[in-house]
Amino acid sequence: MPKLLTENLKYNYLSADEPPVRDERVGGCIAYCGSCSSFQGDFKSGCAQAQNRKFSQSGGCQLGLALGIINSLSNVITIVHSPLGCCSGLAGMAGVRNSNRASRGLTTEDQTFIHTNMDELDVVNGGIDKLTRAILYADKEYHPEVIAIVNGCVPGIIGDDIDSVVRELEPQISARLVPVHCEGFKSRFVSSGYDAANHGILKYLIRDPKEYPQLTEDAQIKYDFAKKYRISKTVNIFNVGSNSNGDEVELSRLVSALGLIPRVVPLNASVDVLDHLGEAALNVSICATHDDYILGHLKERYGTEYILDVLPIGINCTNTWVRKIAAHFHLEKEAEKLIEQENKELKEAIAPFVEILKGKKIFVGGGETRILTTADFYHSIGMELVGVKAHNVDRFVENLLQDIDNPDLVVEVAAGQPAEELNVLSHLKPDIYIGHVGANGWVTKLGIPNIPLFGMNINYMGYSGAFELARRAARALKNTNFSKNISRYIGHPLTEEWMNLDPKDNMIQGDLF
Amino acid sequence: MSDFIERSKFSCALGGALSTIAAIPRAVPIVHASGGCAAALSGTYNLSAGYRGVGYCGGNMIPTSNISQSNIVFGGEDKLVGQIESTIKYLKGDIYIVVTGCQTEMIGDDSVGIASRYREYNVIGANTPGFKGNTLRGYDEVLDVLIREIVEKTDKKDERTINLLGIVPGHDVFYRGNIAYIQELLSKVGIKVNTFFGDGESVEKIKSYGSAALTVVLSVTAGQLAAKTFETVHQIPYVTTELPIGPKASEKFLRFIGEKLGIEKKRIDTVVEEEIRYFYSYLERIVDVASDLDFQRYAVVITDSYYAYPITDFISEELGWIPHFVSVNDIHDREIQEQYRKKFEGLTSVTKPQVIFEDKVGQTAKKLRASWPYNNNQKYYDALGPLFVIGSVVERNLAAQYGAGFLSVAFPVSNRAVLNKGYAGFRGALSLTEDLLSNLVVAR
Repeated sequence: MPKLLTENLKYNYLSADEPPVRDERVGGCIAYCGSCSSFQGDFKSGCAQAQNRKFSQSGGCQLGLALGIINSLSNVITIVHSPLGCCSGLAGMAGVRNSNRASRGLTTEDQTFIHTNMDELDVVNGGIDKLTRAILYADKEYHPEVIAIVNGCVPGIIGDDIDSVVRELEPQISARLVPVHCEGFKSRFVSSGYDAANHGILKYLIRDPKEYPQLTEDAQIKYDFAKKYRISKTVNIFNVGSNSNGDEVELSRLVSALGLIPRVVPLNASVDVLDHLGEAALNVSICATHDDYILGHLKERYGTEYILDVLPIGINCTNTWVRKIAAHFHLEKEAEKLIEQENKELKEAIAPFVEILKGKKIFVGGGETRILTTADFYHSIGMELVGVKAHNVDRFVENLLQDIDNPDLVVEVAAGQPAEELNVLSHLKPDIYIGHVGANGWVTKLGIPNIPLFGMNINYMGYSGAFELARRAARALKNTNFSKNISRYIGHPLTEEWMNLDPKDNMIQGDLF
Repeated sequence: MSDFIERSKFSCALGGALSTIAAIPRAVPIVHASGGCAAALSGTYNLSAGYRGVGYCGGNMIPTSNISQSNIVFGGEDKLVGQIESTIKYLKGDIYIVVTGCQTEMIGDDSVGIASRYREYNVIGANTPGFKGNTLRGYDEVLDVLIREIVEKTDKKDERTINLLGIVPGHDVFYRGNIAYIQELLSKVGIKVNTFFGDGESVEKIKSYGSAALTVVLSVTAGQLAAKTFETVHQIPYVTTELPIGPKASEKFLRFIGEKLGIEKKRIDTVVEEEIRYFYSYLERIVDVASDLDFQRYAVVITDSYYAYPITDFISEELGWIPHFVSVNDIHDREIQEQYRKKFEGLTSVTKPQVIFEDKVGQTAKKLRASWPYNNNQKYYDALGPLFVIGSVVERNLAAQYGAGFLSVAFPVSNRAVLNKGYAGFRGALSLTEDLLSNLVVAR
């Protein structure tokens, strides 16, 4: 690798109440449509980063992403400081949280959250009183370990100071209070929400763990040695909201196979686990977009080295992921042995699916690193990759972009924006589409068979995940009647004029930020 | 002043507006707000309203001005203009409705004014920031502008046509089924129903709603504003009644509306008799199982005011269950609370339910616990059971704690998929009975 993906990035923001948005910290491109070669050029020159779109549709909100991390913690109560709509999606999520936790063998917990329910009066007078009462109520009624306060646009605009409330209430409350700043309007990069949540966790949640004194000096020495040994072998695997338990089991299996001790954090963790986050020899990211911020800060605080590279998806990238971890511990030989055996078994297992998928055209849409690695997998088993759509593109995937050997490959950069995607797809006519939540329904209405990129019950990562990717895609092609029927009888709302437009014409340079 | 809410079962005004627009045939929303609002709010109803889907132009297909930090400082009107102009070009729609989020309202963008510049392209606009109120407010704001701008004025009233309000799409997870049952029932006595969202509706038809003779609102908290608009703008009077579920409620409903419209009594008698016979010819099927297996339940109903009374009424008056406890989460006005509480006094069950108004889920659970004497380890204890909880998916764990039967009916409903099912009228009540009883035998 030519350079570290985080080269020149700084991680010294914890003295501030909130992290800088990604627009300032990392930058990148949110709107593009063109060939891979032109994109690479435009990205280098900075033109791609300056694009925006004329006609735009609803993308995401950093509040939702921040909540994905914060709300997964054990024994947490989230207070949404905003009018009712922000996070109203939580209303029906109780069952999802329960099945999510149950699949990991964790106790099921009711999803308790509180809305400060800001109204017109609060817009004028401020909502701090209500927030204070809500925090006291949450602490008294439920005694949670964590009370997270996430704020939306309204308190952001009127200047409600949630940090002061936290500082004021901290001494009288047993729960750990975590303010998370995630006003939706603040960033063009939804992924800023990850930084917001991680900032809160780093600044307010992780404390130095309590050491319990041993009974005798002898026992203490034994304990210290055991602990030192354990730490020297421990690998923190940083999970993301789209991980299934299957993914976590598979990645842990690979780390264990090298003789190391895997620990999956920070999602679904308890505060005790978070306190011990520093007790690891290595922090491994499985998605740079998700967690460069937390890894950078943990290096500053605990000196823990980190690996921030490819996602362990598909065969090649999982191989790379395993090699990188092994190299840190000088386990290269063990890694090669593992990789050889895994690759051999996997290739035999997917052979019947490869037979079905070979030569078929595929389009992949979703988060930047995962779509490029997913696309690489399908390409490697003989499928024809006709295009990719990334939510955004930043420095973390420059290497992956360089690896693409097809200069004409269609690259679209857009979060949401199904109109652009359907336009592109109707011209490329892939045999199968693989995409992020929210997109597949529209693709079905266009008549193209598809499978979701990831899901709570879907194993997507590691070697077993590669098997599933092949198996699911082959299954989708066994019967394509659903998308055919839907496109015939329902269709989509886009006009002929739009569908005939070159999506490039929807891009605008440097304006409208 | 409003208080904080624990586990809210509502979205905001913008969420309600989007859910309402999604139910109008070929209607396209244009959202003037930050990028995330539209897809997230639309997603709420996609996933938590029995998987109703995003509809014709929902989810992340919704055109959005995506305003960001600099617009908060310098204004976002230019962005809205751009979105309106592209939307009418690129998205097929019979009507385009500009709706607003908190940010653009706080900075003072004149969204409705801008929308009105494009009136000839069927663009209208409504102010729907989240801080204005909950889902129900958004429903009313959208209907209000439709009634003002789209419904055409006429002095000719059709004496046998009514406008139906109060059934909020998505918030009533069964809205299409309920509308269909009510429409079908009223058509049997010769009444035509304008529904906005029912089968076969269109923007073209909505234009003619001004010729209705009466507006019927099935909720005390939703549709009241829109009904007043029908009254002031189109001189159509309105009445408020309940969503009818089951024979007794449906008969009462038919006679009430029939009387208002001057339908001859004999005609209603015939329909009522037929429908009651139909209902009981099917209800007969559960007589044995209900009797042999001791299926009489203490019922707990935890919903909004739209469902709370109608469901309690049905299980009490038709199934003979014991209405024990009712918690209503959407009425905050003391006077309306008292009026609503009075409805339950008319129940013929010897036991009348305790009715509370509470929007903090934890407090509802506490009050339910306090509604029955504790077991102080006495040998003979008259327990609150067998129990059945009818609520939303939020109440599932509460039901499990009591070992109770459970059915999610009110929003949010994420543990069931709902297509054309409805609970209203004579026939919908059979569906409700099916679902209640199925829960009691599901493990067999």
